[in-house]
Amino acid sequence: MSAIESGQKASIVDHCDEIRENLKNVQKKDRQTRVYLGRIYETVLNKFETPLNLRLVENNMSDANLLENQGKFAEERKAFMDNYVSYQQLLEETIAIDCKNEPEKFYDSLKLTRSGRKLLSRNVTKLRELITEQVKIVLHIKEIL
Amino acid sequence: MIRGGRNLVILGVVSILIAMMTTGISLAIYKLSGDIYLDRSVPGFLPDKQEIEEQPEEELDYEFSKSGPVTKEIISEFMDKFEIEVRALDSYSAPFDVDALSDEKLGIFE
Repeated sequence: MSAIESGQKASIVDHCDEIRENLKNVQKKDRQTRVYLGRIYETVLNKFETPLNLRLVENNMSDANLLENQGKFAEERKAFMDNYVSYQQLLEETIAIDCKNEPEKFYDSLKLTRSGRKLLSRNVTKLRELITEQVKIVLHIKEIL
Repeated sequence: MIRGGRNLVILGVVSILIAMMTTGISLAIYKLSGDIYLDRSVPGFLPDKQEIEEQPEEELDYEFSKSGPVTKEIISEFMDKFEIEVRALDSYSAPFDVDALSDEKLGIFE
């Protein structure tokens, strides 16, 4: 599995402490990001989209697109939260590896962590797209009132 | 009396062992469930004040009401508040960008 170049290997061994420190800084920033985004996603879903859908239903004006958007948003948010936990586990495992003595193992683990981060990044992009879609649907509802 | 003392020691040791075992199980569940990655009370979980580059906007204390009429004005109010959240979201630059774990950013050079 390991496709590490000899130069990379030497670099990992030589700068092991510095690389791990950089990973710890990324981890710290990620926690901040997770808290920040998590709050906004929760607000969007529970304080805006869900009550709006309920209110539309109460007024016999339910919108299938908005209901579908709510379902997709809830699903994607759940995936974001699950992927965050998996990613953090991978990141922690990578940080725990002694890169001075096991550079290949460290680099393999780093590659897995990158894949986990990619999934998380996709979740964030998808959630933002769903918010854009939600805005369009709500503006359309406003137009036809 | 000697026997009573010995029993007391055994009771103490057994109690300590049970406490260590249950604490170990609890910690394992705490970690395996992923709660550890979401627990904001963990020391060092959040950056120190001086380490925060982007100060998150103040939380909006607003919730759209589940009941009531639906009018253009109501939807406008909804959108005004909603846009505050969207702006807060967009103000956060490159969340979880893949580049943060690149060789270059981490200091791995060929």
